[in-house]
Amino acid sequence: MSGVHILGVGAIPWGKQTVMTQLKMALEAIKAALLDAELSWKDIDGVVAASSRFEGGMGWGLHANELVQATSEQGVPCINVGGACAAGAIAFQTAFSMIASGQSEAVVVIGAERMPKGFIPRPPGGQDDITDNDFLRWVTMGLTNPAYWAMEAQRRIHDYGTTPESFAEAVILMRNNAASNPNARFRKSVTAAEVLASPMVTDPLHLLQICPVSDGAAALILCSDRLAARVSRMSVEVAGIGIASGTYGDPAHRIPTVGGSVHGDIPHTSEVMSAAQKAMSMAGVEHGDIDVLEMADNTAWHLLAWPEMLGFVEPGQGDWMLKNKRYNLNGDLALNPSGGFLSFGEATTAQAVLQICELVWQLRSEASGRQVPNARVGMSAVLGLGANGGSVVLKR
Amino acid sequence: MNTDQVPVIAGILELDSVGVHLVGARCKTCHELYFPSTPTCRNPECTEDDLESTWLASNGTLYSYTIQYYQPPPLFRIDNWEPYAIGLVDLDDGVRVSGILSGIAFEDIRIGDRVTLGALPLYIDERGVQRMTHAFFKFDHAANRGAVEQ
Repeated sequence: MSGVHILGVGAIPWGKQTVMTQLKMALEAIKAALLDAELSWKDIDGVVAASSRFEGGMGWGLHANELVQATSEQGVPCINVGGACAAGAIAFQTAFSMIASGQSEAVVVIGAERMPKGFIPRPPGGQDDITDNDFLRWVTMGLTNPAYWAMEAQRRIHDYGTTPESFAEAVILMRNNAASNPNARFRKSVTAAEVLASPMVTDPLHLLQICPVSDGAAALILCSDRLAARVSRMSVEVAGIGIASGTYGDPAHRIPTVGGSVHGDIPHTSEVMSAAQKAMSMAGVEHGDIDVLEMADNTAWHLLAWPEMLGFVEPGQGDWMLKNKRYNLNGDLALNPSGGFLSFGEATTAQAVLQICELVWQLRSEASGRQVPNARVGMSAVLGLGANGGSVVLKR
Repeated sequence: MNTDQVPVIAGILELDSVGVHLVGARCKTCHELYFPSTPTCRNPECTEDDLESTWLASNGTLYSYTIQYYQPPPLFRIDNWEPYAIGLVDLDDGVRVSGILSGIAFEDIRIGDRVTLGALPLYIDERGVQRMTHAFFKFDHAANRGAVEQ
């Protein structure tokens, strides 16, 4: 019993925004979450923002401050956190700690992002020398983010005989799940032929097997035992939570590095695996207890590899699981019922928050059209630049 | 043509009459190897920070690869861009390094192939200097016979 609950969730439809600014998107997501929680700004005594590097925050990453100044200046503590694509998970951990410590009763967690077009470029502020890997990888070889995943996918083909059709099936599943999700950007079903006919971006990954960049926002309202007991709205308790950074010797060729030592006994993507292990251990759950997994599917490869690395299935079994529909909504483990990043696109700071929104909708049986039958335990897993991993386990 | 050749970025590559060398660093205490060079030892088992510059192994085995069909953002500068392969190579001294794979037809690239380090011209800069990067080429058994490997 962590004593921390999620009382409200909210998100806006993801896509390419032409009208709303980053701030406006954040306000809309928070408004939806407050409405869902049946609370108002007056009830809020903490705001944690997963800070964008691209827009807003007065240029200093002060997104939480910007939000309260736009809505409700009443002395509320504002915390702004980084963590790249895992920033939402770091923000969630921060809000969790504020409530678990007894300092706060109701805290907003917000991630909102308008992404620059195309390959995610190098942000400003780095040194133009070999101390900055993100400079080095561009100038020495032009190694794009999806190319890192493509090399993992190519190695998987070598190790397990994964076929182009398997990678396509992952996309088909995500699109099918997204079909009835009003917040998803890509809701049209696709066939394997369509996926494999989409342009080859970085071999073996086709365009439709790589998550694009999107504009999106998602928000959560966390609250204490005391508040949860006082209101009529159904809350979902946070059963387990974990964040972690990487372990030295991790075999993953981590974005944006160009070289590293590999130590055989270290798990691949150790930051995420450590975080997930912490969350599961705190929640006291085993793999078989988990009904829903919302995980970062930056590419089709992730959907095959991560459930294996997280311990849900044996290494190399992902292809069989997909082919035999065991990852479908009514399968052994429902994989990304939201439709995942492949259907939403990547809005870096918001996506880990969105994952948790989906888990709450699933556990409250409100995921119309994509509901996992009798979902009781849900887990999230996300990876961010800088070797940031985050995971949450929620129980109904 | 006798164009001056310099590395695309200082401190990553050394070009001399013998060949091409990737510049890394080795911890004098725990002997961990790093690429690119670094002033600090990152091994959590090691508490020292006394590193020396070293050349990495010149040969390795292809761990994986990809072919990039779209031109990267402008920070990557190359004359006459066209789709190209990038490899992830386990060097013989244990460091895993990525680099452009050059001189191998896409359909002939195989995981597990032996590759060797070389220099690849990227572009001629404003001063007429040819900027070079590290790349991996097919291992030439004949050329390497008798050569002392790092």
